[in-house]
Amino acid sequence: MSTSVIDALQNDCAGSAGADIRDLLPLRGAHILITGGTGFVGTWVAQMVAYLNDCHQFGIKLTLLSPHASEFSSRAPHLACRADVRLFDGDVRNLADLPQESEWVIHAAGSPDSRIHFSNPVRTMETIVSGTQAVLNAASRLTPLQRILSLSSGLVYGPQRWEDAPLSEKVFSGFDCANPAGLYAESKRAAEMVAAAYRSQFGLPVLSARLFAFIGPFQLLDRPWAINNFLRDALRGGPIRVQGNGETVRSYMYGSDLAYWLLRLLVSGKIGAAYNVGSPVGISLKDLAVKIAECFPRRPSIDLNTLPAAGIPRTQWLPDITMARTDCDLRVQTNLDQAITRTVAWHTRQ
Amino acid sequence: MISHQKATPVAILGSGLIGTDLLLKIQRSELLECKLFIGRSLNSPGLAKASSLGVPISDKSIDAILENPDCCEIVFDATSARDHLRHWPVLKRLGKRVIDLTPAKVGKMCIPAVNLAECLDEQNVNMVTCGGQASLPLIYLLGKTQEQVEYIEIVSSIASRSAGPATRINIDEYIETTESAILAISGAQRAKVILILNPAIPCIDMQTTIFAKVPEPRIEPLRLAVETMVARIRSYVPGYQIILGPIVEGGRIVIMVKVQGRGDYLPKYAGNLDIINCAAIAMAEEYARESLRVAERLELDHA
Amino acid sequence: MRKVLISDPTLRDGNHAVQHKLNLAQVAAYARAADNAGIPIVEVGHGNGLAASSLQVGLSAVSDRDMLTTARENLLQSKLSIHVMPGFATIKRDLSLAIDIGVDVVRVACHCSEADITQRHIAYVRERGKQVFGVLMMTHMLTKEQLAEESLKMESYGAEAIMLMDSAGALLPTDVAERVRTLVQALHIPVGFHAHNNLGMAVANSITALESGAAILDGTARGFGAGAGNTQLEVLVAVLNKMGYETGIDLYKMLDAADLAERELMPSIPTIKSISIVSGLAGVFSGFAKHVDRVSLQFHVDPRDVFFELGRRRVVAGQEDLIIEVASAMASRQAKPLEVVR
Repeated sequence: MSTSVIDALQNDCAGSAGADIRDLLPLRGAHILITGGTGFVGTWVAQMVAYLNDCHQFGIKLTLLSPHASEFSSRAPHLACRADVRLFDGDVRNLADLPQESEWVIHAAGSPDSRIHFSNPVRTMETIVSGTQAVLNAASRLTPLQRILSLSSGLVYGPQRWEDAPLSEKVFSGFDCANPAGLYAESKRAAEMVAAAYRSQFGLPVLSARLFAFIGPFQLLDRPWAINNFLRDALRGGPIRVQGNGETVRSYMYGSDLAYWLLRLLVSGKIGAAYNVGSPVGISLKDLAVKIAECFPRRPSIDLNTLPAAGIPRTQWLPDITMARTDCDLRVQTNLDQAITRTVAWHTRQ
Repeated sequence: MISHQKATPVAILGSGLIGTDLLLKIQRSELLECKLFIGRSLNSPGLAKASSLGVPISDKSIDAILENPDCCEIVFDATSARDHLRHWPVLKRLGKRVIDLTPAKVGKMCIPAVNLAECLDEQNVNMVTCGGQASLPLIYLLGKTQEQVEYIEIVSSIASRSAGPATRINIDEYIETTESAILAISGAQRAKVILILNPAIPCIDMQTTIFAKVPEPRIEPLRLAVETMVARIRSYVPGYQIILGPIVEGGRIVIMVKVQGRGDYLPKYAGNLDIINCAAIAMAEEYARESLRVAERLELDHA
Repeated sequence: MRKVLISDPTLRDGNHAVQHKLNLAQVAAYARAADNAGIPIVEVGHGNGLAASSLQVGLSAVSDRDMLTTARENLLQSKLSIHVMPGFATIKRDLSLAIDIGVDVVRVACHCSEADITQRHIAYVRERGKQVFGVLMMTHMLTKEQLAEESLKMESYGAEAIMLMDSAGALLPTDVAERVRTLVQALHIPVGFHAHNNLGMAVANSITALESGAAILDGTARGFGAGAGNTQLEVLVAVLNKMGYETGIDLYKMLDAADLAERELMPSIPTIKSISIVSGLAGVFSGFAKHVDRVSLQFHVDPRDVFFELGRRRVVAGQEDLIIEVASAMASRQAKPLEVVR
């Protein structure tokens, strides 16, 4: 990875963290562990840690636990080679112990790749529910443990109507539990309940973050989400194919904002709470395609309605982030235009 | 000059369905003894089963063998292709005989009814594919008894329930591997492999149909050779039977084979998985016999 | 005006009716006519799709490569489509070549309960930037809820639409309505329907599907296709016109294309023969008809009995080899004792 790319990533982190990093000082010299640490989330947190260590002398020691530890060096070679980053080969399903020096834990294990949820629902459930139980069990025996942030999903709220957006942390509806279509969301819900049980019974200092949608470098474009498809189409020269009329609305938070938010929630969030993490600013898929196209000098064309979509409901999936703002003074720092531009630049350089 | 009939010590890497089924087969063998059953997690039902049978277990993966290299002479690898690529250099260095049941296929292709003896010299053998184990012995005979083989096609139907996520995502690899094996063993000009998953309940046994395009089919020599071959296969795969042929139908030679599994740990309908395990055991037992022969010769020399 | 997307597998499903012997001149002629008529999607290939030419399901007269190249040359406005079944066609050997030749739409198909075998093929087509539909076959064999689950898998893999195929021509309008409605509710991508005419219901079922929320319909010229044939496309287009749907297809040129198809492609126009009624009732794949006839003749058994037995065994597409086994077993059961010649 070239220096300019690495510098750009450092700048992203600086922008998200802001000039005043006092709120993160409790992490100075600390041992942070991330389970599932080599995915998009883990990589961005590692990037933020690198920034804090390099530019603010934080001296954090980071351990990334993952069954795909060896893939980290291809995804983020500039992070994998760092002395302050340690890779641990392990699967949360088989976990007996966590590294004993871990003080702060971010539990990110569990792939959001919906293809796996549909093709291998058994493994998905094991990783998320049993895996969370194994991690919390092991964490409850960690002597220096400060806090655990367990990553959940904004999908736990269940099916929502268009007018219910943005979703606050209390708007639960239900899935048909005989239907594996809701398996990922239900597994995440169950995992939150597991966390509540450990907190209640063992006083474990655990809180949750419900993640919505994100954009940024380190994202693997083969995941079949709309934004990835648009980026892939555009990188190939277009046309960008938008299903139906593109009126479905999503929001995207940039990776460095995500990393900053997670570290802040880890340190300052209320124990036992669950916080929405994501951008509240919605954009229709149609408009998203336009914004992505605009990033390319030879602007790719956009094909709407390539297949008839009458009757397909449009959906909105947006987080209400009032709670994160009230409790931790968190805001979105990187706006969508910046997020898209930076992401396109990164992929173009790959 | 007494030769001691000793069981050859083996280890199994991989405590899933395949590995556990192998363990139960080894328990029946007089030539093999499982000294270590290795998985990744003590939670695994396979390890629990092994433990209940008094077999030493470990959750340390390949490290378990590194820490105790004398525990075994033969290692069955029933993990994954990716893991086997990590295991093999270690096992090679330790001088272990390796039987690879994964799709990694770094070693020689082993079809016990056909090339057991040649495989004895190999340190790493792989068990090809389920369709391969079922059809290659007969395809070998086609190559041997027929003047010229233009084209061979095999169609395997397996119960949907015997095909897990790993099978389903690797169908292309199954086709490619089996096709190369057919060409290598028969000398045919072209080969095609088709795989069909059948969801019928109760589950169907594995069924493989072999079609061959041969300009002047010689059925009698083929029929005789097939009879002998099937008897040999049944010595290690008791559930293997010919249900049709060899006959000539519509200008092509047709043979239909059905494989029912033994039902040791895998369900009986998973004949496709069972035949690979049976073949692996047959290979291991041959290594064991070879070891004994070598030991006997040494004893005789020293007597 | 409500839109419906028409996809025309005359040159693919029709191949079943002629033992996969369509030649390049026929492909060129019909492709040109279909393109002229404004048919949006034209599907070409062996009856069982890409790389299916085999002893198992029948050898095609011409190679996939030649068929697709010929079609590509003759389709200027229309999209070129192929039917692809994992287990027959591999990505490396078959699918990548087809896309190189210029295929626009890939319909990745499987037996309706096995959607997860389509994951890699669907992903590959998306990677190549082409349009991909997921196709569920023999949909009479699953409940509507099960079909929805399988469809959701395909949607998660990146399928851009789901086609429900009534491969055996076994469904009645109420069956179609409930399946389509359930899928439309469960999915965020369009749903399509592909009918067969074994019980004379193809056009009616297609309209029912449309009225239940489907957005894509298949039909072939004169219903050219396996067994009793598919939905008769020119009839469907006429009906859609009358009902006020927009297909983008020119009616007269569609009729011309059907006339050409009748003249150039088919030895006979599909009708519902007794054997097709039986296969429809038995719920067995239409494409088996010619194999069953031939094998039943060889073993001196009643093909209708063979069909019902195949249905009882719930055979799936591609299992033609079982026909021999069933007929042979039936024949041995019927074997009469040797008569002494006086």
